[in-house]
Amino acid sequence: MPFNRKPQKFSASIREVEIGTGEKAIKLGGANVFPFYAFDGSIGNAPKVGVEISDMGLEGEPEGVKAYYAGCTTMGEIAKKAAEMEGADFVALRLDGGDPNGVNKSVEELIAVVKEVAEAIDAPLVIEGCKNAEKDGELLTKCAEALQGKNVLLMSAKEENYKAVGAAAGLAYNQKVGAESAVDINLAKQLNVVTTQLGVKAEAIVMNVGTATVGYGYDYVISTMDRIRAAALTQDDKMLQMPIITPVASETWGVKESTADEADAPEGWGCVEKRGISMEVQTAAADLVSGSDAVILKHPASVAAIAKMIKALV
Amino acid sequence: MALTGIQIFKLSPKKNCKECGSPTCMAFCMKVAQGAVDISACPHFSPEAMAQLSEATAPPMKTIKFGAGENEYALGGETVLYRHEKTFVNKTRYAAAICSCMDDAAIDAKIAAAKAVDYERIGERMYTEALYVNCAEGTDAAKYADIVAKAAAAERPLILNVKCAEAAKAALAVCKDAKPILNGATAANAAEMSAIATEAGVVLGVSGTSVDELYDTVAALEAAGNKNLVIDVTMDTIKATYEAAVEVRRAALKNNDRTFGYPSIVNVAKLADGDAALEQALAATFTMKYGSIVVLSEMDYAMALPLFGLRQNLFTDPQKPMKVAPGIYPLNGADENSVCLTTVDFALTYFLVSGELERSGVPCNLIIQDAGGLSVLTSWAAGKLSSTSVSDFMKAEVEPKIANRKLIIPGKVAVLKGDIEAKLPGWEVIVAPQEAVQLVKFLKDMQANGQL
Amino acid sequence: MGKFITIGERISVTAPSINRAFQERNAEPILTRAKQQIDAGAVYIDVNIGPAENDGEELMKWAVELLQGEFDNVPLALDTANKKAIEAGISVYNRSKGKPIVNSADADARIEYVDLAAANDAIVIALCNGAGIAGNNDERMEYLQILLERGLEHGMDDQDLWFDPLFVVVKGMQDKQMQILEFIKMISDMGLNSTGGLSNNSNGAPKTLRPIMDSALVAMCMMQGLTSAIVNPNDLRLMETIKTCDVIKGNTLYADSYLEL
Repeated sequence: MPFNRKPQKFSASIREVEIGTGEKAIKLGGANVFPFYAFDGSIGNAPKVGVEISDMGLEGEPEGVKAYYAGCTTMGEIAKKAAEMEGADFVALRLDGGDPNGVNKSVEELIAVVKEVAEAIDAPLVIEGCKNAEKDGELLTKCAEALQGKNVLLMSAKEENYKAVGAAAGLAYNQKVGAESAVDINLAKQLNVVTTQLGVKAEAIVMNVGTATVGYGYDYVISTMDRIRAAALTQDDKMLQMPIITPVASETWGVKESTADEADAPEGWGCVEKRGISMEVQTAAADLVSGSDAVILKHPASVAAIAKMIKALV
Repeated sequence: MALTGIQIFKLSPKKNCKECGSPTCMAFCMKVAQGAVDISACPHFSPEAMAQLSEATAPPMKTIKFGAGENEYALGGETVLYRHEKTFVNKTRYAAAICSCMDDAAIDAKIAAAKAVDYERIGERMYTEALYVNCAEGTDAAKYADIVAKAAAAERPLILNVKCAEAAKAALAVCKDAKPILNGATAANAAEMSAIATEAGVVLGVSGTSVDELYDTVAALEAAGNKNLVIDVTMDTIKATYEAAVEVRRAALKNNDRTFGYPSIVNVAKLADGDAALEQALAATFTMKYGSIVVLSEMDYAMALPLFGLRQNLFTDPQKPMKVAPGIYPLNGADENSVCLTTVDFALTYFLVSGELERSGVPCNLIIQDAGGLSVLTSWAAGKLSSTSVSDFMKAEVEPKIANRKLIIPGKVAVLKGDIEAKLPGWEVIVAPQEAVQLVKFLKDMQANGQL
Repeated sequence: MGKFITIGERISVTAPSINRAFQERNAEPILTRAKQQIDAGAVYIDVNIGPAENDGEELMKWAVELLQGEFDNVPLALDTANKKAIEAGISVYNRSKGKPIVNSADADARIEYVDLAAANDAIVIALCNGAGIAGNNDERMEYLQILLERGLEHGMDDQDLWFDPLFVVVKGMQDKQMQILEFIKMISDMGLNSTGGLSNNSNGAPKTLRPIMDSALVAMCMMQGLTSAIVNPNDLRLMETIKTCDVIKGNTLYADSYLEL
């Protein structure tokens, strides 16, 4: 008897969400099968790769990242170069400098950076907050206003500030909302429910369901994404059918494996940059096969490798 | 794999003769499925139906062992496709590839590099577990056997990737007692290779150019009596390999198709074709998606650190959090005069806290006590992190070794400060911030203010 | 496990206004009731056109097109003693939201409804009774086996037979209730689907009691593995109970707002 294929093709599918405008606009989602199961049905839009830059410029970045942006002196130049990176589909701007416990830049100062970046590129733009929910509530609201017509994705609307961010991004200024929860599947769903109850269209929501670096409690990330995809497709759970975006670089470049210089590291570990790239690449690959529709990376070698992997799998 | 009443019913005689004591065949089959009666109570089940039933109740995926002695590994035996359903059983094993097309120096270097990666992470030894010895086309059998002998000396189980019968025999002659995998069967040579593998008592690897061809080859081997197999799902392209890896595992576990109920080999070295960064991505991908053995072109720390971390997370029991061993963990060059901080043994908490402490650059001793693998608040609520547990541990394990008498406790259990101070005479107890990310600033401030 | 499937029972000739609307081909009362049920969370809508001996085919087609046209191809259960009317309904039925349900077959005179469902790739509600009402679970199992074999012979997927244990009224048949719950467990243990007119249990009870009795019974039935029921979806207490049981059983993911979904 020959092999009897039993495809898992679902009548439910992941929603399509568009980010950006014009020729460079991208669509996330659309699959009615498990990640990369192209042999079962339609995977919809290929997962996308974003390049992360920070309002803090190149301070503290790995050498290879600095080398890539060599010669760039303004945020506009950095953004332009990021958009040109081989394999890049969009640019993600983190507003690290806004953190009240850190540099604590003013909202006005950051909005100037945001505008400069947005004007420098025609690639789709994702704005990541400063991780402080209160500040982000104000900051992202202002970003939504400043970037009208650009169709950007504003991350992140959390349990504490989704009303402010959701209302501004999703309702007032017609941008896309990134709903963020930290590896908590019930909260991920609840955020989508309450955000849509504000009046934000389901088609305007992308989820960041939380992430970690491989080896660092990553088991929870795998199961959260596996279960979300399963609920979206097998149970047709409309409140979990939003595409998933996963910031990878901001996690993976902070762990010991990516930061310990060769001199300080255990014997044999070798070049720190090589380790950093591999932490980023392997985490991103694992995210994608678990269900991420977009990953945010920063090292040119990682972006190229993941873009190549996606191309090979779709 | 248990059968449902209806699956048994479909094979039943459907006579409703009541001879078994049940009013209907349906009722009888249900009792059989529940284990309440034995199927032999029915005199009318045909031998064919009985054979089908015993086949159907066998585990969906076989557990296949290779290697010998301390280096014996179990592969497969999985029952679910996703880790949240049930714990995965046998972790992915990694093999470093060498090839008969390399010169001796290159082979020596590869083997040395593979052996160089060997460390421990949260109680698990992480090392290159196997070597994959490829026989390039046209390699002389004696030469291949020489290389295999050299690889065997590394004391890692071998995967012999050889499609030529003569070379396979020569290689097995030098290493068969170490129970390698003979990854040699194809649609063309299956019977011959199966005979060689069976005679040597080793596992046979099956390759094919498509999922369908693999299926037919495995079915033919099984029909001929060889069920000691692994399936090499590596195809010409990455996409086709991913499909094969998923189809094989899914057919076995979800669709009860036991022909594909074998562990798999994925050769990512071949798929990446020299692109090192892509190989990293593929190694992670095929660890997640069902590679029982993943073959790498090279195992170094850059590959190993994330890959073994991923594997450890993937194969951990979802019901049981990972724990780190209790003890004193000196960070940033800390010594007996450095400040102490304590937290729970939940691996996630440990990594989060130790990561922030390392980032602060301040020398300190992280004290981990047994808190049942729970997070700070949960273990406190469960009574596992208490003033008594902390003070007992400090007295027994820390006081004899550390001279510093400052202890920083997690902000979330600030309430314990007074009690700990009462139970730990001579210690100053300081409360840390609520979140781990705030530790960097907290410690730097303390350092700047001369409080350490 | 899939979510519990509710079949809204309120479009039925037993309601005088609906009966009249069917006679007069008056869409409005039918659409109003359908919308109320869909808004309340009914998955399937039952369309009971009665015996419809004369104009059944034309009437069922009209009803199917009316409801599916208005409500985005809502899946329907076609409910009539006129077999040809069911076939006619299926001929114009859009399957994009789910297969049609044939309501219903039994192990006696209506066994051919199984054949009809098999021939049309439909789901069939299979009542576990024969010439008489089954007296105990052995008899129910015998009827179930007859229906199941019939379906399998005609090439049906066993999941497309939804077995109805026949709910009976508490007021009068109180001693049979546990038997029926046990039978649901038997169906579930075999990996088969089940459904039924659950509100039969509270027939004749005061109006204020019926939602309470129906809710309690549905919870007990879901524990036993009941996969569907024919219900009044506008009974809020009942629907909230079903949603909660679905969460507890893991059929839907919990979120604080789960009742609002």
